[in-house]
Order: sequence, then structure tokens, then C-alpha cells
Amino acid sequence: MSELTDTASARQKQKEAYFTASQGQLIWQRFKKNKSALVGAWVLIILILSGIFAPFLTPYDPTIAGRDKDYLNGAPQIPIFWDENGFSARPFVYTQERTRSIKTNFRWVTEVKTGLEDRRYITFFSEGSPYTYFDFNINLPGEALDFRIPGIEFNTHLFGVDKGMIHIFGTDSTGKDIYSRTLTAIKTSMAVGTIGVMIAFVLALIIGGVAGYYGGMIDAVAQMVTDTVKTIPSIPLFMALAAFIPDTWSAESRFFFISMVLGLIGWTTLARRIRTHLLSERNQEYVLAAQLCGAPPKHIIRRHLLPSFTSYIIVDLVISFPYMILSETALSFIGLGLKDPVNSLGVMLQNVTSADVLLNYQWYFIPVIFFIVLVLAFVFVGDGLRDAADPYSDSK
Amino acid sequence: MLQFTKFVTIRAVLAVLTLVLVSFIVFSLMELVPGDCAERYVAFKNSQGAVITPADIQIERVRLGLDQPYVQRWGSWILNAFQGEFGDSCILRVNIAQLLGQKFWLSLGLCLSALILAYAIAIPVGILAATSKNAALNNTLRLVSYLGLALPNFLLALMIMLFSTIMFGDSLTGLFSKEFRDAAWSYDKFKDFLGHAWLPVFILGWSATAFAIQTVRALMSDEVGKLYVTAAEARGVSGGRLLMRYPARHALSPIINSLGFDLNRIFNELPIVALILTLTEAGSLLIEALARSNDQQLAGAIIFMLTAAIVGINFITDIILALTDPRIRRSIVG
Repeated sequence: MSELTDTASARQKQKEAYFTASQGQLIWQRFKKNKSALVGAWVLIILILSGIFAPFLTPYDPTIAGRDKDYLNGAPQIPIFWDENGFSARPFVYTQERTRSIKTNFRWVTEVKTGLEDRRYITFFSEGSPYTYFDFNINLPGEALDFRIPGIEFNTHLFGVDKGMIHIFGTDSTGKDIYSRTLTAIKTSMAVGTIGVMIAFVLALIIGGVAGYYGGMIDAVAQMVTDTVKTIPSIPLFMALAAFIPDTWSAESRFFFISMVLGLIGWTTLARRIRTHLLSERNQEYVLAAQLCGAPPKHIIRRHLLPSFTSYIIVDLVISFPYMILSETALSFIGLGLKDPVNSLGVMLQNVTSADVLLNYQWYFIPVIFFIVLVLAFVFVGDGLRDAADPYSDSK
Repeated sequence: MLQFTKFVTIRAVLAVLTLVLVSFIVFSLMELVPGDCAERYVAFKNSQGAVITPADIQIERVRLGLDQPYVQRWGSWILNAFQGEFGDSCILRVNIAQLLGQKFWLSLGLCLSALILAYAIAIPVGILAATSKNAALNNTLRLVSYLGLALPNFLLALMIMLFSTIMFGDSLTGLFSKEFRDAAWSYDKFKDFLGHAWLPVFILGWSATAFAIQTVRALMSDEVGKLYVTAAEARGVSGGRLLMRYPARHALSPIINSLGFDLNRIFNELPIVALILTLTEAGSLLIEALARSNDQQLAGAIIFMLTAAIVGINFITDIILALTDPRIRRSIVG
């Protein structure tokens, strides 16, 4: 008897929890059920964290300052625990030396030394090149906009080797460590995407919001402009805008300009969604009910209209993120986007086009894998969120 | 009939209006590029050994009409543009319409073929995915269409090139074989062209197909559960006949409407794919103009023509939709 009431009350509680749950809790409940989206979310979190902590997780500076001049176009070095010389509790890689002599016909040849004394043992939390966090050094065109906040400097890296250098993803033609570059590139691409999405979001909110709120003639004009911008193929338009950047600009100004360009063109879809949503929500019964209760417009917008679509907007932002990253990659890939020493996924992909790389240095493709995984993770999370934010997705 | 004429007229006016707005954006972009044609011509003369003064630049400006107000120059640019005349490129010093000529039609042909390929695959596969209860099939299709998004076309092109270089020793690039490159169009040249064009069409169609499958599937699964389908089934219609005659007809009409935007998406990918496969058509000219020579006249002309093609397709699809669906005719005219 008591058992029965127990389950009944438990069910009652469950129901109550469901009815009183906030929208965020409901979305999270539905999102958790979607296994592929959950996996995507984990992958995404790991990638974002590894981007943020890239200077710590990577042993070397990603720019030319961190190059290994003894190991150009070097293959990945995989740490091992034993070889014919015996077992070691500490993983190690071999020393590789570039030599040129009469024996090699005076060509540079990389020679792997496998002797016991040539082992490079991996050390953890080793001291290495310094890096700073919270360091802002804005250098936009114009003197008035320059300012600098010195950050906190660190020099501990997750791993390194006791002598020489280690390159677990190999090196490129100038000897820069591909592993260090890849993680830094994730950070840059995410930063470009974030700035681009934010600019697009603000523009979309203003244009879509005004069009949806006022309706009528203003709406018609706004729709016309939105449609026109949407008609022009965006990559050619990106390219045309990016082509203005004078060569004299610093890499940082380039970075900000490219992010802005992405935002300036990417707002159309979002603006249209906000406008449609506002137009349809304005005439809903709950708005009428609130109006009849005497609620002022400010209260209605803040308490009723905004909460009704914040979740949609967040979902839309997540969905538009991979497009920003893809566009940045495409721009950098053709040489109109970011440039050395700023290091993004697109800049890294630029290197894989030559036949030499395709045939001889396949480890240049390692960043490509990261790139695909990053975009896929975003797409999975975005789709999962879209399904979760749709209150009717359960009943389908 | 009168109603239909009215509809077509309204649509045509809207299309022209859009083009005018586009031309304004494109023209402003061209103007924003530092340096104008007069400086370029004069710089060229300078490189030929002539001594140039600022007054010469001013004379050149007047000769080219660059001293006139912005709006007036925009007006004359757009009037010429509608007649297919874009003036001379001041970097290459040749007529743009001549330079682009058939290259633009090649690009358009490639993109349209990719579009047709995409829907030829997507419509049957999408309908199948929406109606089948097979979880494995659905998950595979989902993964493939996600990959279509996540694997950019230029990567796919690179990978195919890598594969074919290793396997066949031929990198499959270009649009024509050497002997046909400058030849006039003939049956042999056309055959040669088809032999090269399948790869760019496939690569351009790749993400378009993935995208189209998702659209078709979503539209179709919305329609399949509706009551009129059940009613038709109760009357004894079944199988492929049921699907094609009832839900598919409804589900596919929004697709016709979005063809213009699909073409837009394919045009997006064209320049980069063209760069990798070293195609000799408008996409690679655009990159050349923007990334290398900063040739704003040529770039503006290409972007304007691409957009005009999209607006044209949008206009045609609107007319087709109105012809097949009386509801749309009425909704616009009101």
C-alpha cells in the first residue's frame, strides 16, 4: 500500500518537476537524450579548452620564433617506451639530425639516431618559451586606438623533452611545430568565429528587431535589403571586402577586419528569423492576455517576448558558428584572409595544396582532421540544440 | 490570364529592383578600393618610361569620366551593365565582356549541372529516408549529410587530386585538354570538355547534395504524416504511386522556390574549387582579380553577373511555381 503511494508520489513529483521546470532545464533534459549531440558537445568542449590552453598544452611557440632549424619538414615523432636497447619508464623519442656530407651526395638528409644516448626523454611540466594570458595589445589603424595591458607571464608547458625538441605532429617547411600551430589555430579560428557571430548577432537583432517590431513599410524595406544581401554569393562578397585590406596592416588589424567582414555579411539569416519570430509572437494570445492585464510594453517585451525566443537565438548562434569558421578558412585558404604570424585553421590548410606536400609530407594533413572534427562537433551540437529547443520535438 | 500577367510584371519589377540594389552594393565596393583607373593607366604609362605629373592624372580622370559625381557614375555603370557591357579592365587593359565571354557561361553551366546532379540524387534518396523506418539507413544518411557540410569542397578536391595522382598519375585538373584549349567549339572539344567537367561538377555537387537531402527529408517527413495521405491510402492508393502523387507533390514545391539560393551556395564554392582544379572559367578569374591583381572592374562585373544569374533563376522559379500553383499567384497579387 505504502509502496504504491510512494511510486505515485514519486510520479507526482516528477510531473511537478516537469511542469515547473524552466525552459533551460527542459532543453537540457531533451538534449541529454540525444547521444550524438552529447558526444559532439564533449568533443567541442575538449577542443575549445585545448584552444584556450594552447600555450600551456603545446611545447613551443607557434610562430617562427619557435622553429626547430634542425628538423625541417620533419615527420611526426611518436613517443615510445622501449626499443632494442631496453625499456624505459619514461617515454622517449630519438634524436634526428640533418646531415650533409659526401656520403649523402651533399644533400640534406635527416638521420635518425637510435642509440641509447640519443634518446630524448619526455619531461612533464617543463620550463619552456614564455607566454602571457590576459595580455591585450590592440594595434588598430590610428594612434588613438592603440593600447596595451601587460598580462601575466608563464613559462610552464605540459610536456617537453630533456634535450633538443619534440614534434608529435611533425614540422613544416620552416621547422615550425605543427602540433603547437594546430592548437593555436583552433584558438584563432574560434576567436574569429566568436567576433563574427557577435557582430552578426547585434546587426541581426537591430535590423530584425526593428523590422519585426514596427512591421509595415519599415519591414518591407528591411526585407528588401536583407534579400538583396542574401542574393549576392557570400564568398565572392567576402573576397571583395577582404581585398581592401592594405598590405601594410598588421596581422592583428587584419584579424579584426576579417572577423568584422564575416559578421557584416552573416547577419541575414538570423535577422530574418528574429523578425519572423517577433511578428508571429506579437499576435499571440499570451501577449494579448498580458496587455489586457495592463502590462506596459516594456514589461511585455522583457518578461514575455524575449524569453520566448532567447533559446532559439542561442541555437541559431551555435548553428551559424561553423559557417563562420568555414568562411574564414575559405578566405585564408585563398590568401585573402589571415596571414602569418596569425595562425588559423585556414592558414594551416593553405600549406596542404602543393603536390610536394600531397606526396611526401602527409602529416601536413593532421590539422585538416582537427578542422573537420571541430566543424562536425559544432554541427552535431547545433542540431541537437535545435531539436532540444523545439518544444514539440517530443510529440513528433 | 490577366492575373497571371500582373503577377509576372510585379515579379519582374522586383527582380530588376533587386538587381539595381545589388549593383549599388557592388559599385560601392569597387569604389572603396584604393586607387582608381586613371592612376592605374598613368602608372602603366609611367612604367613605359613617360614622365607623369599630377595634372596628367587629372586629365586622365576627366577623360574616363571619373570626375563626375558618384551617383552619376553608378547610373552609367548600371545602364551599361544591363546591356552586358562592363567597360575595360584597367589592369589588363582589355574589354571585360570579351574577357569573360564564354567563361561565364562555362561557370554557369558547371554550377547548374551540379545543381541538377544534387537534386537528381537528393529527391529519391530524401523521399526514401523520410519514409523508411530503417534506423541504420537514416543514421548513415545523417552522417553523410553532416560530412557534406563539414568537409569543405576544396578539401574534397584536394583529396581526390591526391588519390588520382597516386593511383593514375593524372591530377585531373583543368577544363580542356591542351590541344582544345584555344580551339573553337566542336563536337570533339565538347566531348573533351565533358571528360574534364565531371570532376568539378561532382565536387560542387557534393555539399549541395548533402544539403538537398536534408531539405527533402525534412519537407517530406512533415507531409507524410498528414491526414490527406492517410485518406488516399484508405482509398487504396499505395506504394510509390501514393508517395509521388500525394505528399511528394506538396513537399517538393518549396524546393523549386529555393533553387536560386541553392545556386547561390554552389557559386560560393566555385572560385575556390576552380583555384584548386585550375579551371579556366569565371571563378578563377574572380580570385585572380581579387587576390592577385586587385582588378575591381573585373571583380565587380563577375559578382554582378553571378548575382544577376541568381536573380534570374529566382524569377523563373517564381513563374514556374505560379504556373503550377494558383494559390501563389493569388497570394502575391492579393
